[in-house]
This record gives sequence, structure tokens and C-alpha cells, in this order.
Amino acid sequence: MSWTIEGRYFHAGSAREVPARASAEPQRVLRIAAENGDVLADVPAGQVKVTSRLARLVRRFDLPDGARFETGDNDGAEALLLTLRKRRRGRFTDRLERAWPVVGASLLVSLFFAYYLIVQAVPLLAEWLALRTLPTVGHAMSEQTLAALDRFALASTQLKPADQARATMLFRRVAAKSRGGVSGYRLVFRGGGRIGPNAFALPDGTIVMTDPLWVAVKNDAEIEGVFAHEMSHVDHAHQLQRVYEASLVPALIGIFTGDMTQMSQISSILPGVIVQSAYSRRFESQADDDGAAVLRRLGEKPSHMADLLERLDKQLCGKAGCPPSWIGDHPDTMARAARLRAEDKGPIVVTQDCLRPWQTGFSLRCLSWN
Amino acid sequence: MSDAGGQGAPTIHTLEFHGRGAEYFRIWIVNVALSVLTLGIYTAWAKVRTQRYFYGNTYLAGHSFEYHASPWRILIGRAIALTLFLGYSLSVIVLPVTFGIWFLILGAALPWLANSSIRFNARNTSWRNVRFNFNGTYFEAFIAYVVWSAAALAFFPLIPYTRRVHDYFYINRHRFGGRAFETNFKARRIYVLYLFGFILIVGLLVAVIAVAGAAVEIATHWHKLFGKFSLPLGPEDFTLIFFVLFGLGSAFVASFVTTLVTNLSIGSTTLEGGFKLSSTAWGLRVGWIVVTNALLTVLTLGIYYPFGRVRLARYRMRKYAVIASGDLDSFTAEALETQNAIGEEIAGFFDFGFGL
Repeated sequence: MSWTIEGRYFHAGSAREVPARASAEPQRVLRIAAENGDVLADVPAGQVKVTSRLARLVRRFDLPDGARFETGDNDGAEALLLTLRKRRRGRFTDRLERAWPVVGASLLVSLFFAYYLIVQAVPLLAEWLALRTLPTVGHAMSEQTLAALDRFALASTQLKPADQARATMLFRRVAAKSRGGVSGYRLVFRGGGRIGPNAFALPDGTIVMTDPLWVAVKNDAEIEGVFAHEMSHVDHAHQLQRVYEASLVPALIGIFTGDMTQMSQISSILPGVIVQSAYSRRFESQADDDGAAVLRRLGEKPSHMADLLERLDKQLCGKAGCPPSWIGDHPDTMARAARLRAEDKGPIVVTQDCLRPWQTGFSLRCLSWN
Repeated sequence: MSDAGGQGAPTIHTLEFHGRGAEYFRIWIVNVALSVLTLGIYTAWAKVRTQRYFYGNTYLAGHSFEYHASPWRILIGRAIALTLFLGYSLSVIVLPVTFGIWFLILGAALPWLANSSIRFNARNTSWRNVRFNFNGTYFEAFIAYVVWSAAALAFFPLIPYTRRVHDYFYINRHRFGGRAFETNFKARRIYVLYLFGFILIVGLLVAVIAVAGAAVEIATHWHKLFGKFSLPLGPEDFTLIFFVLFGLGSAFVASFVTTLVTNLSIGSTTLEGGFKLSSTAWGLRVGWIVVTNALLTVLTLGIYYPFGRVRLARYRMRKYAVIASGDLDSFTAEALETQNAIGEEIAGFFDFGFGL
């Protein structure tokens, strides 16, 4: 008995469809017959090209003369091909996609990979790229950023020349103990404008200090700590790393979801922002640790930085201090201050034991090239 | 309905999408896992399966579209692109001066890359065995994608006009079985849409700054009102709130405007032989679908993504239609004959991911 499936037939070069059925005949012959039984084609199975199975897609049998047979009966088509002893293309992948355990396993593989990529690979790749980016790129970025901030957020400085000279003197003192040396950084003064008491670093080593920050400082070591913190951002090219991370996350999501369209880009905004915050919290902690180390080298206590942080917090939010932010890009002020106070006793050492990779979350840093 | 050969009332054939979220989810997640396990090599096969699924589930007048690309060609295209990218990165790191040379190379290669990709996709797409084709020349692509794009970057008010240049090039150089598509609309109409979008974006910007400012104000000065249950926001979270709200809002505006622009360019398109295309999707509806899809995708750690994609395709497809003044069957038969007579070869083109 031969297997028969229903479908439609198109003569070579014709767009008009004929209801037909396909069956397997002896000697591996594929027969296409009209509904009334007239034989439309008899073709050796070896010469027929069949599209591979995918979900409920119509299967198409291309005959050597250009005619074709189409059917929506996928199970029937598989059975027919089996009878004809013809390779059933796409059968393996299709079975994977149908099997719920495989789907479940795929989900686990994908989630683990996404996690690993974001926690381990992206920061490492961003750092690698940032440290190899041309200085001219960092310089151009810095100039643009400062120009934009000057236009929208900052005012020109009202600081007296004597104060400026004193700040610059302290800045040089810190720079001498930092990685870039005295020529590695440049201090510029700006009025607070909308930003308020703050200091920030640009990729080319420019460090901007706002007037209200200088006013809030009660002890030289406090501002020295801030300078050291910002110089650490410059040394590690944190700003550039953020830029790379910001573009790597959506790009990776696009590549692996196989979709560069609007939807995947938009879907990556929110995780992008959250991941970014996590990344920059790490940068802040690193800069705090480096700042503390420089202060110790200058013979000062890192807890001075904690004093300043707490004072600014109270200035901004009142006596109780600002509420902790769960998702913000800076770690909670109280936690930062506590950590800095702990640094008075010496550096907080976090060792990564690369010989026990499960303890480091299989850190890629253990395969380090430098 | 008209009899064969008669010139009756036009028939409207609406596109339908028969894909299902749960079905595509399984294809998608297996694709992702295999891509990961093969270090990205499987992405070429994944792309073919995805395209086949979406084309094969899109029906017009009872027949589905078909996607025929060979994953090997896509793999080769990707290998070439990756090699170029690595070559560029290495040479720029080693010898920064080469940046200028690469810039020129990219400018010169872009039209070719674009033509090649669009042609690859067109030729690998068929409906009722009749293939699409694309015959843009290098020179035209250069004018459209390099010259006009550069002009739009230098002078923003040219953006809508450039969009029209791109659409004209993309649509008018497409063929279906040797028949030409042609779109034709006034520049004024696309300017109106972009102006509308611009006003919406400015309004959104103002609104988002106000909302983010208010939220931060409440979080910093008023948080005691909520007692122990303070908002999880600090004064430094302004940028964060701003980016999330503005990101979602501008995605809404962008899909809204793109939908209207597509309605305009596709809705003004005719196909030689008495056919008109129409596109009547609601911009607000598409914006809503896109934004809720994005939110649900994030909330479900990406699991909703394939469902969202199917949801969007379902809506989008049923708002496209072909308005036929003649008989679709005889048209297809003629197109098939023309195509067989031309006998175009498919080889020699690669996909570089230069899509719509």
C-alpha cells in the first residue's frame, strides 16, 4: 500500500493550481495524480527537491522539469519521504524545536549565557577597548562634553584666584602620587549651575570641579580625596568604558536574538540602563578604593572623603541624608562612607582565586592577557 | 469579482500572518541556544529559519511568501563583514592614520554592500514561485546612501527628503517577476509627518524632564512622607528616570512616525500591471504594541520577545493589502513566463545585513 497526501500541483511555468495528491510508487517513484486519478507526473524520488520542515510551513516538492507540488500536511510529507527512502531535511532541527525538554534546556543555556556575557564579558571587552582607544578620540569626546555642559548646565567660575591657586596646588600634589603624574591631568573650575557641588572627570584627563564643592570642603584631605577619585576614573578610562558598554549591550542582544530592528533595540533600553548602573557602581567603588590608596600615600586618612560625602548628602537631603537608591549609578552614600572609613586601617583586599574558578563566577579576568 | 478578462471592480487582497507566538518561541530559543553553543556560526541558519518562518506564514490570496536563501551565503557574508571589521580595528590600533583610508573604503563600498544585500533578499523571496528582484545600480546607491545621507547629517532639515530618496531608490528598483514597483508621493507630505514627529519629541522631552524632576524632588525632600517605605530613588537618579522614560517615549513616537511614513510610501506604490499596494496601520496602535512588547520583554527576561514579534507581525501584516484591478492568477502566470524568459541567476550576491 502506498502513502498518499493531499496538496496542490503547479505545471512547469504555470501559476494555476490543480488539486492533486502525491503518493509513493514502487522503485522510489513519486507520483502526482489529479483528483480524478489522472497521473500528472511520475518522477524518481532522487530527482525531487523538498523544502525542509519548519513548524506548519507549506512543504514544497520541486520536480526536475520546473513543476511543483505543495502540501500543508507535514506529517504526511514526512511519512511519504520515509517510504521513498528520501532524506528528510531539517528533521533533526525540527524535532529539537518541538521537544519541550530541549526548549527548556535552550532557555537555561541562553539565560546563563546572557548573564555571563553581561557580568563577565562585556566589562572586560569594554575595558580592553577603552584602554586601547586613541587619545585623540578621548580628547574630542572631552571637548564636546564640556562644551555641551557649559551650554546647558554649568556656569563660569566665581572662585577667587587665591582659592584657584590653592586648589591647583593640592591637585598637583595628588597628581604626583597618581598613575598619570602631574602632566596627566588638568583641573578646570566651573560655577555649579544646575549640577551643584560636584567634580567629574573627562576621558582626556580634564577634571572639572564646581565652586559649591570647594565651598563645602572643610579640610584639604577631603578635596584631595575627590581629586584622587576622579584621577582614578581617568586612569581606568571609565568614561570610555561606559560608552563601549552602552553600545555593546544592545549590539550583543541584537546579534543573539537575531534581530536588529526597532523592537530589540527598544527592549534593550531598560536592561541597558540597569546594567549600566551596575557597571558604574563598580567604577565608583574602584575609584573610591584608588582614592583611598592615594590619600594613604599622602599620609592622610581616607575617612576624610567619607566626611565630605556625608556632608554633601545632608546638604542635599536634610539631616537624615538622602534615601538609598536601589537602581542609581552611584552606590548608596552611607555604604560608600562606611567603606572609606574602613580603609583607614589599610586597603580592603579582595582576592580572586583563579585556581578555584567557581569562586570567581568563572571570571574571564583569570584568562588575562596582561 | 470580475470574470476572466473583464475589467470589474478592483479586488482587495489583504495580507495575513498565521504565525503563533508559542511556536515561534520554540524556534527562537533553540536558535539562540545553538548560536551560543556554536560560537555564533549557527546565527546564519537561525536567520534563515526565522525568515522562512515569517515569510512562510505571511499569506496573500491563499499563497504564502517563501524565503529561499542558503545559510552558507549568509555565513560567507558575515565572515566577510567580520574580517573587514577586524582588519579595520587592528589597523586603526596599530596605525591610526589608516582611519582615513578606511573611511574612504567604507564610503566606496557602502553602495555595493547595500545593493548586494537588498538584491540578495529580494531574489531569495518569492510568492507563487515568482521571485522578487532588485536592480539598483552602484551609482544610484551611491547618490542615495552616501551623498544624500551625508547631506542629511550635515543639515538636519534634509532628513525627510533623504528618507524619500531612500524609499524611492528602495521601492522603485524592486521588481516582481520583471514587473516594476513604483512609489510616488509629494515631498511636502513626508515633511508634514516628520514635523509632527519633531513636535511630539520636543513635547515629550519637556514632559519627561518635568516628571523626572518631580520624582527626584519627591524622593529627596518628601520621602519622609512615605515613612519607612521611601521611594527607591536618590537625587542622582534624575538621568536614570529621564533615560528610561525618554527611551520608551521616543520609541513610541519613532514607531508612530515610521508607521505613518511607511503608510505613505507603501500606500503610494503601484506595481506594473494594474496593482496598487496599501498600508493602513494605525501609528498609535503600532507605537502601543512596540512599547508594551519592550516592557513585557524586559519583565520576562526576554522570554516575551518572540511572542511580541509575532504580535507585531499579526497586526502589521493585516494592514497591508494589494488592490488588484485585474486577475491575480493571469498576472502571476505572465510574470512567471517573463521570469523564465529572463532566466536570472541567483548566485554572486551576499547578505550583509543591510535590511529595510
